[in-house]
Amino acid sequence: MKRSNEPIIWLLFGAGGMLSALVGPVLVLITGLLVPLGLLSKDVMSYQRVLAFAQNPLGKLALLAVISLFLFHGVHRFVTTLNDYGVRGGHTTMAVFVGIAALLSLVTAGLLLGIGF
Amino acid sequence: MGRHQAVAKTYRRTQPVDWGRSVHRRRYMRRELTSVFLIAYALVLLFGLWRLSQGEAAFEAWRASLSHPLALLGHAAIFIAALYQTISWFQVMPRTLPDSQVKPASIMRAGWTAAAGVSVLVLALVVLGGGK
Repeated sequence: MKRSNEPIIWLLFGAGGMLSALVGPVLVLITGLLVPLGLLSKDVMSYQRVLAFAQNPLGKLALLAVISLFLFHGVHRFVTTLNDYGVRGGHTTMAVFVGIAALLSLVTAGLLLGIGF
Repeated sequence: MGRHQAVAKTYRRTQPVDWGRSVHRRRYMRRELTSVFLIAYALVLLFGLWRLSQGEAAFEAWRASLSHPLALLGHAAIFIAALYQTISWFQVMPRTLPDSQVKPASIMRAGWTAAAGVSVLVLALVVLGGGK
């Protein structure tokens, strides 16, 4: 019998939900509001500083975790909502959206590796 | 579909007509809607990472674009959705742990406290950190 991939997908959904619940608001506040509005110094998001963060192995891990897990969490919720509205082919739709999230995670990992150490 | 082909007779539960108006339904939909905003934020960060990989000029252009009124408005909406995600995630959590001996209210409070603590820590690291 073919094993279900549901536990893995659900684990990614849960991890993304937990991570976004813990750090979502503060990250959006910093990168999307405080720095662009000038309430925090622009140096917080200067090229040198963000580059150094993205070159640090732990920084890379943090960026990959946030981008990838937010995506996996988001698409899982989005597809279950579509199913609630009676969109047929739940498994196919889920496979497509989870596939997109996986692809974008690979792109993220590729960019992070390309930026170097 | 041919006359003799098997037809899957999946049971489809019908929703009561007034379900859309119920308070539980609306609460559930608000929670589900946060997913779209989280996806949008992940894409903003991914786009920024791509611009970072292209060098300083590209990154500065991306950072400047965040100050556009529409970007600010979008991030304000994402921020509200993210807050809602934090609140509701820990509200629902006790129901995903039916065998837990801990009181639901305690789980909620512990979750919210953890989120507040992590937020303060991240903000402090971003403001004070770097050391350059």
